[in-house]
Amino acid sequence: MRLLRSSSLRFFALVFAVQLVLAGSLLLFVRYVIADELERSSQALAEALRDDFVADWREEGTAGLRKLIPSRLASLGAHDAAVLFDDPDGNHLAGNIADWPPPVAFRSGWQVYTLYRMGRATPERIGIVTTSLPDGSHLLVGHVIERDLHIRRLTGEALVAALSLTIPLALLGAVVATRVVTSRVERIAETARAVAQGELSRRVPVEDETGDAFAELAGAINLMLGRIEALVSELRMVTDSLAHDLRSPLTRLRATVERAMRETGDEAALGALERVSAEAETLLAMLTTALEISRAEAGIGRDRLIDTDLGRMIEDLVEMYGPLAEERGFSLQAEGSARAPVHRELLGQAIANLVDNAMKYGRPGGAIGLTVTAEEGAVAIRVEDDGPGIPADRREEALRRFGRLDPARSVSGAGLGLSLAAAVARLHGGTITLGDRAPGLAVTLRLPA
Amino acid sequence: MTHKILLIEDDPQTAAYVAKGLVEEGMTVDQAATGRDGLFHATDGGYDAIILDRMLPGMDGMAVLGALRAGGIHTPVLMLSALAAVDDRVAGLTAGSDDYLTKPFAFAELLARLRLMLRRGGGGAQPTTRLGCGDLEMDLLSRKVRRGQRAIDLQPREFRLLEYLLRHKEQVVTRTMLLEGVWDYHFDPGTNVIDVHVSRLRRKIDDGEAAPLIHTVRGAGYRLAVDS
Repeated sequence: MRLLRSSSLRFFALVFAVQLVLAGSLLLFVRYVIADELERSSQALAEALRDDFVADWREEGTAGLRKLIPSRLASLGAHDAAVLFDDPDGNHLAGNIADWPPPVAFRSGWQVYTLYRMGRATPERIGIVTTSLPDGSHLLVGHVIERDLHIRRLTGEALVAALSLTIPLALLGAVVATRVVTSRVERIAETARAVAQGELSRRVPVEDETGDAFAELAGAINLMLGRIEALVSELRMVTDSLAHDLRSPLTRLRATVERAMRETGDEAALGALERVSAEAETLLAMLTTALEISRAEAGIGRDRLIDTDLGRMIEDLVEMYGPLAEERGFSLQAEGSARAPVHRELLGQAIANLVDNAMKYGRPGGAIGLTVTAEEGAVAIRVEDDGPGIPADRREEALRRFGRLDPARSVSGAGLGLSLAAAVARLHGGTITLGDRAPGLAVTLRLPA
Repeated sequence: MTHKILLIEDDPQTAAYVAKGLVEEGMTVDQAATGRDGLFHATDGGYDAIILDRMLPGMDGMAVLGALRAGGIHTPVLMLSALAAVDDRVAGLTAGSDDYLTKPFAFAELLARLRLMLRRGGGGAQPTTRLGCGDLEMDLLSRKVRRGQRAIDLQPREFRLLEYLLRHKEQVVTRTMLLEGVWDYHFDPGTNVIDVHVSRLRRKIDDGEAAPLIHTVRGAGYRLAVDS
C-alpha cells in the first residue's frame, strides 16, 4: 500500500515535470524564433541600405553620395535608419551619426551598439553594418532596434505568464493521469490481496473492451487467478477423496480389530490388537490434522471466525490439561484476557497442540505458561516452557509439515502440531513466532483483533 | 421395543458390519446402497432412525438429507462421513442431521450415539433432580454425591463428568462423546487427557469399594454400570 502510494507520487511528479518541461521548451523556442526573425529583418534592411549606398558611390562618387545621403535619410522618414559617411581620415562627410563609435571596426558583420543619433536626446540600441569603400572612406549603416527589443521583452513576459498558467494545468493533468493509473492499479492490487486472503474466486473487474494495456494486464492476471483457483480446488478434491479413500479401509480395519477383540480370550492377542487399534488411531489423527492444515492453508473456515473470550479459552485448556500436567510433574498456568474473532475449534486445537508439545519437550517438573495479551490491533497468545527450546536456525524447519527436530523419534507424534498452529495463524491473517526464553521455547500466535 | 433402522451405506463391508452389530443389539435393519434407494425407503416411513453415509454414488448424503427434510420427514438422522474436518461436521449438522460421526468409527460409539438419538426422539430426557447407579447417588440440586454412606467431594468438572456418565449409565461412552458432552470440545486435544480425568474420578468413586462402577471398555471408552 505504501509502496503503491509512493510510486503514485513518483508517477505524479514525473507527469507534472514532463508537462512543464515540454511547455517551457515550446515557449522558449517560439520566443527564439520571433527574436531571431526580428533581428534578421533589421539586419536585412541595414544591409540593403548599405548596398544601395555602395552602388550610388560607384556611380556618383564621394561627392554624389555625400549629397545623396541626407535626401535618402529624409525620404526614409529617418525613423529607424542610422548612417555615417567618413572620409579616409575620419572626417564626417554625411549622415545622422556625429562620429565613428570607437569600438566599431571598419569592416565587420552585424553588431549592436548603444549610440546617439544627431538630434536625439537619448541613446538608442542600433544594429549596424560597416564597410570601407575602395578610396579609403568608410560607411556605417544601421537600423534602430529599440522596437525589436520591446517585442522581445514582451514575448519574454508572455512566456513567464504562459508558464505560470502551465503549472496549474500541468498539476491538473498530473492529478488526472495519476488517478486514472492508480485507480486501475489499485483495483488489481486489491484483487490480488483478496485472493491472497483466500477469496480465490475474486477477479480483476474489466469494464471496457478497449484492449488497452491495463485491460490486457487485468485479463492476464484473471487468467492466472483462474488457473490458481482451478489448481487449489483440484488439490482440495484430491485431499478430500484421499481422506475418504483412506478412511474407508481404516473403518474396515477398525471393525475387524473390534470384532477380534470381542471374540478373543487371549490376553496377549488382546494387547496386540489394542496396539493395532492405537496405531490406526494415530494414523487417523495425522490424516485429520494434515487435512485440517491443508484446508486452513486454503483459507477454508475463514467465514467461521467468532468473537471469543481468549482468556476463558486458555483457562479451559488449563483445566483440561491440568490433571495430565500434574501427573507428569508440570505446573500449568493461564494468565491474561483479550477478545478476538477466532475459529474456536481450530484455534483450540492449535493451542492444545502447543500445550501438548510443551509437555513433550519441556523440562520435566518445569512450568508451562499460557498467556493472552491484547496488543495494538492484535492479540498475542503465548505458550512457554522451560525445556531446551529450539535453536534459532532450526525454527523454520520446526514449523514445516512433518518437520521433526528429533531424529531419534523418541517422542511419539506426527510433527504436525507446530505446522497446524502456523496454518491456523495464517488462516486468521496472523503470524506465529518461535522465540527463546533462555532456557525454553516461547511460541507466540499473534492474531488480528 | 424393537427399533427399526435404515442404513444407507455404499461400502458393502462397512454396511454388513454395522447391520450385523445392530441386529445383535436387537434392532431391525433395512439397507440401501445408493442415495436414491435410501431416499425411496426413507419416504416409505416407519423408521426410528436413519444412518446415512455422506459420500454415496449418484445422489450424495447431503442431497438425500435435504430431500428428506424438504419432504417433511423428520426421522432422526445420524450422518456417517469420511470428511472429518470441523467445517464438514458443521456443514453436516446444519444441513439437518441430528448427529455426525466420522469414519473410521468404533461400533460402540455408533451404537451409543444411535441410542442417544433414539431416546431423544422418544420425548427427550425426563427432568430429574436425582441420578443414581447402584449405591452411587447424585443430587443435582444440592450438588452432593454419595456412595453408600460415604460423601464424595467432586470438583465442578468431575461432577459434570460423573453426571454425563450417570445419564448414560449402562452404555458405552466414548472419549469423543465425553469431549463433546462434558467439555464442549469439538476437536481432539490429543494424548490421553480424558483418561486422566476419568481415572481421577474413578479414584474418588471406586477406591476402597468392593464393586467398581466405572469400567473401561477396551478400544471404545467407558461404561458406568453395577456389573463387572
